[in-house]
Amino acid sequence: MLHRRIYQFLIIYGLGLGLLLVLKYSLNLSDYVIPGPDEIGRTGRTYAGPYFLAVLNTLGVAILGHILSICLATIVAVIGRLTAWIGSFIRTAAFNIQAYPIVAVAPIIFILLGDGLPSRLLIAAMICYFPLLLSFIGVFSEPVREIEHFYESTGRLTWRLQIKIRAFENIQKLTTVIVGSATMAMVGTIVAEFIAATAGIGYSIRIALYQSDLAKILVALFLIGVGTSLYLVSLEWIGNALQSRLKRA
Amino acid sequence: MALEARHVSYRYPNATGEVFSELSFRISGPGFHALFGPSGVGKTTLAKMLAGAIKGFEGEIASNGIQRVLYTYNLERLPGWSNVRAHFEAVAPAADRRRMDELIETFDIADQVGSRFHRLSLGQQNRANLIRYLLQEFDLLIMDESLANVDELTREKIILKIKAIFPERGFLYISHNVAEVAKFCREVLVLRGPVKTPQVISLQGRDHREGSEFNHRLLERAMLEIVNAA
Repeated sequence: MLHRRIYQFLIIYGLGLGLLLVLKYSLNLSDYVIPGPDEIGRTGRTYAGPYFLAVLNTLGVAILGHILSICLATIVAVIGRLTAWIGSFIRTAAFNIQAYPIVAVAPIIFILLGDGLPSRLLIAAMICYFPLLLSFIGVFSEPVREIEHFYESTGRLTWRLQIKIRAFENIQKLTTVIVGSATMAMVGTIVAEFIAATAGIGYSIRIALYQSDLAKILVALFLIGVGTSLYLVSLEWIGNALQSRLKRA
Repeated sequence: MALEARHVSYRYPNATGEVFSELSFRISGPGFHALFGPSGVGKTTLAKMLAGAIKGFEGEIASNGIQRVLYTYNLERLPGWSNVRAHFEAVAPAADRRRMDELIETFDIADQVGSRFHRLSLGQQNRANLIRYLLQEFDLLIMDESLANVDELTREKIILKIKAIFPERGFLYISHNVAEVAKFCREVLVLRGPVKTPQVISLQGRDHREGSEFNHRLLERAMLEIVNAA
């Protein structure tokens, strides 16, 4: 049975494609502007293989960037919770930096690091890092007094235990943020590839755009949607398994 | 063992009125003592001041023979990643395992300690929380409504057992139950509103113990004194 996320994506994709075809036939647009179902099907059969590999390439970079930003956000949030002023400083800085579109900085990254893997990885990580950091700081800075009180008054409250308590109490929130930021990591990687990289599905879309080949773009979008949905489903599954394991009586 | 407050005045940050004004009292000796008074009169605030969690007040709180004060309240929770017994074992010294089992039995939660804390009823949760405090080193344990949601018979059994097991330690029991504080506590501090003078009155309770004779008329008199003082 198809998972809810994939099901939802297929409905939205189908609606979008249907709308394009309605536009094409109602306005009598040529195949050059909006290709017909036959051409989309033909392109799909021809390019599904290479595009699938390109999506896997992009997904790999997005997952790596996502993991990188989760690790970094955890470290910074753990440090940031130590004292009120450091936490407050990091939170303010994160808010301000987040307000600046990372995509606008992307060209600088490509100029400095070239159009290879490091640039794509860095942009993917940066795009999902700040929302993760803000949530993690919020979770790790907020005391769970009704649990921590005992450990604090008996002198047992170590920083590891404090983090464990706060993470456990907010596991649902943390899982939601991690799943939410996964989409951003994927978007960040595709945008980075679209701007300047020489690999990945974003790069393939850029080539298709130069060729004005909407059929290729539609095939790429389909595979991106399926790939992203599968990644989100996997993350949700891991999150749910972790939660039920922790809360099992 | 003695605890004394001398001319203690306190006002919450940014608050207009004082919670306590020139508050003075003394409780001495181990055993069960009570802090009694209507809601909002400052019992929890005073308990936190005695435990050292609230500072910045005027006056002095001095103690003699009390090195370690612990404060526990009825909304505390145990972490959810292990069952209640595993938690007790993690926080109780190895030498106290027999005492731990004795308390689990007396507190009537033997069938529940294999479960996670959130699966227990409110009364069971409060009992589990109190057990872990009783397994710690302390000279004075402040119990802020620690036996809330526990039925009367079990509460009585628990209090009598605590008094029997820990005769050398001090307990400050915060409760709204006048019969309970009058029956089981030795000294009852009746805390009154800030407009009343004196703000705290110290009365004698019946200090009932396991096996001791019990006089209903004296209990009624003690209860009347407490209610009148409040």
